[in-house]
Amino acid sequence: MLTKSSARRFFLLGTMACSAAFVLLTLDTIKQVPKRTHEENLTPEVIRGKNLWDTSNCMGCHTIMGEGAYYAPELTKVFERRGETFIKSILRDPEAMYPGQRKMVNYHFSQQEIDDITAFLKWIGEVDLNGFPAKPDLGNVATAIHSTGSSPEGAVLPPVTFSQVCVACHAVGGAGGKVGPALDDIGLRKDAAYLSRWLTDPQAIKADSQMPKLPLSEKDIKDIVDYLMTLKNEVKK
Amino acid sequence: MKYSSQKVAYWFFATCMLLFGLQIIYGFIMGFAHMGMDGLHPIIPFNVARAVHTNLLVMWLLAGFMGAAYFIVPDECEREIIWPKLAYVQLISFVTVGVVAIVGYHFFWWEGRKFLEIPRPLDYLVVVNVLLFVANIGLTIWKSKRHTTTSLVLFFGLLTAALLYLPGMISTDNQTMDSYWRWWVVHLWVEGVWELIMGAILSFLLIKLTGVDREVIEKWLYIIVGFTFLSGILGTGHHYYYIGTPRYWLIIGGLFSALEPLAFLGMAIYAIAMAKKGGRSHPNQTALSWTIGCSVMSFVGAGFLGFAHTLPQVNMYTHGTLVTAMHGHMAFWGAYAMLILAIITYAMPLLTGRNLFTRQSATFAFWTSNIGMTAMTVAFGIAGVAQVYLERRMGLDFLQVQKEIEVHFLGLVLAAVLFTAGIVAFIYNFIGYGFPSNESLKKYSGDVS
Ligand code: HEC
Ligand code: HEC
Ligand code: HEM
Ligand code: HEM
Ligand SMILES: [Fe+2]
Repeated sequence: MLTKSSARRFFLLGTMACSAAFVLLTLDTIKQVPKRTHEENLTPEVIRGKNLWDTSNCMGCHTIMGEGAYYAPELTKVFERRGETFIKSILRDPEAMYPGQRKMVNYHFSQQEIDDITAFLKWIGEVDLNGFPAKPDLGNVATAIHSTGSSPEGAVLPPVTFSQVCVACHAVGGAGGKVGPALDDIGLRKDAAYLSRWLTDPQAIKADSQMPKLPLSEKDIKDIVDYLMTLKNEVKK
Repeated sequence: MKYSSQKVAYWFFATCMLLFGLQIIYGFIMGFAHMGMDGLHPIIPFNVARAVHTNLLVMWLLAGFMGAAYFIVPDECEREIIWPKLAYVQLISFVTVGVVAIVGYHFFWWEGRKFLEIPRPLDYLVVVNVLLFVANIGLTIWKSKRHTTTSLVLFFGLLTAALLYLPGMISTDNQTMDSYWRWWVVHLWVEGVWELIMGAILSFLLIKLTGVDREVIEKWLYIIVGFTFLSGILGTGHHYYYIGTPRYWLIIGGLFSALEPLAFLGMAIYAIAMAKKGGRSHPNQTALSWTIGCSVMSFVGAGFLGFAHTLPQVNMYTHGTLVTAMHGHMAFWGAYAMLILAIITYAMPLLTGRNLFTRQSATFAFWTSNIGMTAMTVAFGIAGVAQVYLERRMGLDFLQVQKEIEVHFLGLVLAAVLFTAGIVAFIYNFIGYGFPSNESLKKYSGDVS
């Protein structure tokens, strides 16, 4: 039968062997991380962004690289998902981007600070995370409109800005946010001139509109309006 | 109680009760926020509530460990604590740092790294404080003639817990490395050195409550903590799958962390077997319930629910979802919260010379809090699995999914009410015991008679 002293030996040897292996693996990890995280892109801007990320405790609501809180969206790929326009708008005024929804803190960031955080989010989006987050493998509802090629009715593909910014509040084909009305039939209801005026400044048309004035370029607006005019699906009420 | 310096343990335990109560209040704030009732947002936004909730948890558990050590070490070493006054100074400074940190969070003074939100200047104070504590305990053991395995394992656990706080202070501009070092604290604490503390406290309680021979209990203690480190150290890899660290962590982390439940299973079998083996029965059966309950619930929360999401193929989808919150609650409850409540239940009659453990409310506290926590875990679990399917596998929008699962947070809050009822009963009993007194010295030894 096992004695107490051999039990102690098992404990001490096991612990030492595993600790040694762990230290060696750590050294190798330290060596590999700069390449995997593109440390060459850690500009002063990104570093300031990371500091703002920490001192604002964004992790107290959001996850990043899957770590943090479960109250607000995962942000590792937010640069790719929402794009610069959307991120900068939400950092300037969170309430405007998701009126009446779950609340984010309004930090009253300066333009410089907003640029820094956006740079940080861009950098983190490029880190090699061994495939995380996985692409949705069932149903694929939301990615359907992003995907290239063969949508069933041969519909026109939306411009990138639309898939990043507008779908946060508007649904097309059932996928997207519910803050604003679905846009499936917008091409039947409105004409191009109206839409480009609307996108330039919603409040100029409807003073109490909940849709924020978005910092879109002329080209963005033209592309989006062209796309909107193709949306002519009668919506079943 | 045999030594008058053990009395300081009472004040640590009282601190536990206070901080635990506050922790629950902040839990409710978050539960309601998840249900869409976020009226407190302008004063206590979610990130404040969360930092306070989790830091109070860690703080009261640490206070509990310290109290337990001040109670156990004199008993094991058969002598007074070497610097009893220092123990009080250390308690007061610990509470002061804690209060400053908690109040500071409300004014956004923090580092914003999950679980390690405490700002840097306070980190140093924590380190000093814990070193004073470790010195006080260490020298007491050193100066005594009796070196038991239980007290040595306890001391080793406390010392390494203090040392492992340091890697969390390494500063880096790279988010990946930041997170890498953060896990040296968070993971190596709960799945490493804290398990040593747990093993030692459990073995102390089992020796006292079952009367089984010390040699037998301590031999198994070595085997169990041996397994803990064998699996737990390299098991840290289960946090290095998807944070920008090399791919080999998927294999190493997956393999070793899958073995971690064995240590918890061992702990449960060990506690149950020793309780069966001990023929004579100790009057404080409530303390035995908490002791056995701790070993069983830690297996459920840490072992079983930990295993459920530790393989990289599963973690790819569950990483950073409410599934983690489900596991986090049951694991912390089973392994560490119940452990502290067990040692408190055992120590209070000895510290105060009163016997309240046969009260009905003591039994009520045990069952109600455990049933409540189980129901909370189920609520988090359903919400988590639904989130994984809708958001991660079907690609629905985050906020849309949160709307879908709001109703499960109603379930969570109701379960939390039940849980809170149990804890209120526990605290009510704690207060009922009154203050420690020298009269209880040698009145009860605490051993099986
Ligand atoms: C109090 C909780 C909270 C804090 C703190 C917080 N956020 Fe948010 N954030 C949210 C919520 C909730 C959303 C989801 C949209 C909404 O309802 O506003 C969000 C949305 C976002 C989005 C858009 C994500 C998307 O997929 O549409 C970005 C980007 C963002 N937050 C960045 C940040 C940054 C950067 C910080 C720190 C400076 C931060 N947030 C702090 C709660 C928070
Ligand atoms: C922060 C959320 C939000 C974002 C982002 C947003 N919208 Fe809107 N949108 C709304 C709301 C809310 C309305 C309803 C406005 C009202 O009637 O007051 C609306 C209305 C509209 C309308 C008029 C719909 C109708 O039926 O009359 C159009 C067209 C539109 N949005 C297009 C867009 C496009 C294109 C984008 C992307 C560039 C976009 N929106 C981005 C919230 C948003
Ligand atoms: C008493 C012991 C334990 C406690 C208190 C505990 C607690 C926690 C907590 C609080 C987290 C969230 C941490 C964070 O995101 O910062 C977590 C994560 C995790 N735990 Fe545990 N745990 C314990 C044991 C275990 C065991 C034994 C396993 C595996 C078998 C395990 C597997 C995991 C995994 C895989 C994660 C990461 C979840 C994710 O990717 O989001 N845990 N644990
Ligand atoms: C009784 C009422 C309680 C309620 C309503 C509650 C609720 C919550 C909520 C809503 C969260 C945040 C999840 C998120 O980020 O969205 C949370 C986090 C957490 N709570 Fe509680 N809680 C309670 C009690 C407890 C207790 C008793 C413990 C420990 C024993 C505990 C440990 C934790 C931990 C460790 C986390 C962090 C989890 C993680 O990051 O994965 N809570 N709690
Ligand atoms: Fe872990």
